[in-house]
Amino acid sequence: MAATASALSLPVSRREKGEEERQLVRLAQSGEEAAFEELIRRHQQRVFGLVSGILRRREDVEDVVQQVFLKVFVSLKRFDQRAAFSTWLYKISVNECWDYLRKKKVRPLVYEADLSEEQVSRLDGVVSADQPPASSSDRAEARDLLERMMEKLPEQDRELLVLKEVEGFSVQELAEILDLNVNTVKVRLFRARARLMDVYRRRLHSKPAVPAEGKEGKGK
Amino acid sequence: MSMNAENRNAENNYAACPRYEAALEDHLQGLLRGPEAVMLAEHLQSCAGCRAALEDAAVSARLLAIAEPSPDPGVGFSRIVMARIRQQLQTNEGRSIWRPLVSVAWRFAASAAFALVLLVSFDLGRQSQWRSDQSIVAENRVPEIAPDRPDLPANRDEVILMMADTSHGKQ
Repeated sequence: MAATASALSLPVSRREKGEEERQLVRLAQSGEEAAFEELIRRHQQRVFGLVSGILRRREDVEDVVQQVFLKVFVSLKRFDQRAAFSTWLYKISVNECWDYLRKKKVRPLVYEADLSEEQVSRLDGVVSADQPPASSSDRAEARDLLERMMEKLPEQDRELLVLKEVEGFSVQELAEILDLNVNTVKVRLFRARARLMDVYRRRLHSKPAVPAEGKEGKGK
Repeated sequence: MSMNAENRNAENNYAACPRYEAALEDHLQGLLRGPEAVMLAEHLQSCAGCRAALEDAAVSARLLAIAEPSPDPGVGFSRIVMARIRQQLQTNEGRSIWRPLVSVAWRFAASAAFALVLLVSFDLGRQSQWRSDQSIVAENRVPEIAPDRPDLPANRDEVILMMADTSHGKQ
């Protein structure tokens, strides 16, 4: 326990943070439950973000996150620390999500109805204003509209956009978690953005997708 | 330098040049520096597709900024997880008390099954061997060429008569 306490009280400078975590992992591997609990505390929010980015259904997320940490605890002794603990943890999280979806045969949520004219103009205002809506009810509605648009995207696009733009994972982290090349992640992200904008135009505006004449001629 | 003026995707929107997509993403994130940034800037001046795609990407970033990240599950969550882990470990320990017995029982059952199979196969082997021996004997049987057995005497008089026959009346 004393060892755990000393590990927890280590200075939290960026340089030593990695070593501190390795120390916590070593303690947890030797059976120190307090060290493992600390690891959970440090990573629970990102694992929550990752799992909810993939599963979307709030009611499933907590159960799956618990299952992830249980798996991590069971297989922690086999973790050789060659990769960062967080990377290993996130990979287990992603695999657990896929297993869960496969077992439950969960179908993606589908919003049947498209957006009303009023909703369209509100979302348009949000995009053009470059500022988030002021009131909490407007923010909630804008989020709901965005969620509906995201549902129209292919699963892979939606996941990448949510993990990168909403949950704050870096391109490097996504590449490690999803076993992809960094450049591949960048390209997929960029294409996912383009597809989101296609949905935005098709579902919301029904106006020509080609850029305006002025824009087109700008570089020529 | 590619002009890409007619580079459109399936939606008839302008699409970025595939070789610049990664750089455009970096540019959007503000991560592009040095010669790559210069090269992209030059390209953007001459490519309407990449310019339009970059504008779209910037709008998508504004759209996505509306969304909120998942909330922190709270300080109690780690305790809930640890409780679940302890419960799981206890269940596993409970199972482990019976595990040696279960293991011995399985070994016993496996040995018994193996012995039974051995016995049955041995018995079947013996039976088939006996049958084949019998068939060989039957095939190789040669009719005996031997005189008929003399009839046995039924009583004392016949014994005397038989003795008399074989010794031709001589003592």
